[in-house]
Amino acid sequence: MVVEDEGVMWVEKYRPKTLDEVVDLKDIVESLKAFMRNPKTMPHLLLAGIPGTGKTTVALCIARELFGQNWRTFTLELNASDERGIDTVRDRVKDFSRYSRSAFGNVPFALIILDESDQMTGPAQTALRRIMETSSRTSRFILICNQSGKIIEPIQSRCAIFRFSKLDRKAMIEHLCCIAKKENVTLSPEAAERIVDYAEGDLRHAINALQTASAYKDGFVDEKIVSLVVGEASPIQVQLMIRKALFGDFIDARKKMYDLIGSFGFSGSEIVRQMQRELFKMSDLTPEQKADLANIIGEYDYRLTQGANSDIQLSALLAQFAKIGRAKGEAA
Amino acid sequence: MREDLLWVEKYRPKKIADVIGNEEAKAAFIEWLKNTRRTKKALLLYGPPGVGKTTLVNAAANEFGFRVVEMNASDTRSEKAINRVAGPATAFAALDTFTTESKGNVLFMDEVDGIAGNEDRGGVSTILRIIEDSRIPVIMAANDPDLEKLRPLKKVSALVRFHQVRIPMIIALLQKVCQREHVKAEFEALERIAENSRGDVRSAINDLQSLAETTKTLTLQDTVVLSARNRDVGMDETLREYFSVKSLLGASKLLSYLSVDYDDLLMAVGDNLPLRYTDPEDLAAAYDFVSRADMFRGRIGVENWHLLRYFFNSLAQAAAVSPESYQPFTLISPPIRVITLFWTKGKRTILDAICGKIGRRCHVSRATAKTDFIPFLKILLANQKADEVVSWFEFQPEEVEFLAKMSRL
Repeated sequence: MVVEDEGVMWVEKYRPKTLDEVVDLKDIVESLKAFMRNPKTMPHLLLAGIPGTGKTTVALCIARELFGQNWRTFTLELNASDERGIDTVRDRVKDFSRYSRSAFGNVPFALIILDESDQMTGPAQTALRRIMETSSRTSRFILICNQSGKIIEPIQSRCAIFRFSKLDRKAMIEHLCCIAKKENVTLSPEAAERIVDYAEGDLRHAINALQTASAYKDGFVDEKIVSLVVGEASPIQVQLMIRKALFGDFIDARKKMYDLIGSFGFSGSEIVRQMQRELFKMSDLTPEQKADLANIIGEYDYRLTQGANSDIQLSALLAQFAKIGRAKGEAA
Repeated sequence: MREDLLWVEKYRPKKIADVIGNEEAKAAFIEWLKNTRRTKKALLLYGPPGVGKTTLVNAAANEFGFRVVEMNASDTRSEKAINRVAGPATAFAALDTFTTESKGNVLFMDEVDGIAGNEDRGGVSTILRIIEDSRIPVIMAANDPDLEKLRPLKKVSALVRFHQVRIPMIIALLQKVCQREHVKAEFEALERIAENSRGDVRSAINDLQSLAETTKTLTLQDTVVLSARNRDVGMDETLREYFSVKSLLGASKLLSYLSVDYDDLLMAVGDNLPLRYTDPEDLAAAYDFVSRADMFRGRIGVENWHLLRYFFNSLAQAAAVSPESYQPFTLISPPIRVITLFWTKGKRTILDAICGKIGRRCHVSRATAKTDFIPFLKILLANQKADEVVSWFEFQPEEVEFLAKMSRL
């Protein structure tokens, strides 16, 4: 028997193993535990919410509660944004659900966890819906997504939907302090606040930041170290690209864009998503300016899905930024 | 020897079996040749250039021992010219007695879609009459069988369709040529040549020869010039005209006579736009049009070709944002994408592997691993307990090194 690997990364080491350990999701946990008492009644589940709020954790907890130590044998974990097409998903899901698991004892069904399922295209989701139907006797699905609106209606109607909201500040701070204590790390209250500020409700981010910060100076984390780590780990390249564009330096901005694509392997939509995220962190822009720029990003996010060449769409987006940047400069 | 001869000629197959790809077309062709009771007097071979239409006809002639009376686009195809060549040839052996064993003649007209309106006056109708009168088989070859003027020819001919030759077959052929010519070549280099040829064997061999002329060991690096060169020679010319148009009408006219690949043109326009428009306002407006053109291109996909006119319309608008601001500039070449992205393919593969390992361990997608874990991991690895982290993720030494050297996101 494989002993569960505790893990070096704290996000894994301190990932709750049972529903009872889950932080700050009382209502959701209670409903799920009701299903666990009689697993046969469990419907397909759709877990929706922003990143780092415990969706994957809850799904893995369910797997453990259903199957115990050998949960990996009966659980298929897929990430829709990694699998290139529905065909891989379909083949693996089909193969997985085909073999009856009754031979392995008292297992009601196989569990398929499909993470980032809102990344699937419409046709892929339609295919998935069919698979959910044909395999319903042998398998249950847990679909995880950021926006439930991106999941087609027929799938939504086949699932019990659970919405995960931003984690409570207090609960996050408590959790960080708890981890720090177990790891023999002295975490100052200000440092904990600073980490939670930075994480914006994303517990995964917060724990990663805490672990990285405690590696800096053995077992001691204060506000200064947190700022240092957060600064170093924040993606500056994207901000740099935005800044260059807003400064009217289009050619340099475009060069940065190709750097990002080339050395980090970002796709067009990934870059747009990063731009959106970083834009709101830029302190030298007014909320109105951010809103205007976000509008433009949104437009090109859409155009990317329509167009044939992401380079061209991204260049066009940067050109729009350069134009607005100049107007801003003249007004000032 | 090597200097004197084009490799495409030197290695042109002498036997039908040596013609690569298009097995179905080959079989149909041979069946037609061997059939003594043909329902159609003529045969039209059609398909993209460089896939072996002419080669197949000549290889068959060689193998079965018949004589090919050939005409191609370089000859004028007026009525007179055709009659002069074809007349005597068609009069000899009788069509119904031609078999592959009879060692008679066939008339082969290559590139029949090249028959131009005026100079070849009466060309198509003459060919039609020859087919009708001919007592020997008539074989024709064309690239684009949809041309309106070829319709009468298609009616009286059996049709055999050729496809692009598949990339792996081209690679295998290139390897064979390299071996015979004592050229050492990286597999990736040959792969790139083959891909770049778009299934055109002739151009692949030509590219190989011209690259091998400068070096005895061909690397992937040497092939970077390919896409730049293979871009129609007219591209720079077209771009220059495009960027200097005086009006929207001028741009539309230019685009309606386009002789270059419009996907290439779109990318090249995108590359060069900031050099053309230095005013941010103009640049943004022009890029907006190019972006629209790209959207139309995306919607065209492989079937909605009626949208092409909107693609050109948007592209024309991009050229005519501010005609008065035109200043000559040096064009960017080869395309930026080729310069910046081509060399990073290997890098991206290793990064993908790293992200995959993180994803499996921490239950996240590769994309999330890249943005949410790697920045922290870089710091962790630089500090203490790096070994623990490395062995837990099962990172290979080169992956650790890659992470360390990787620039900050």
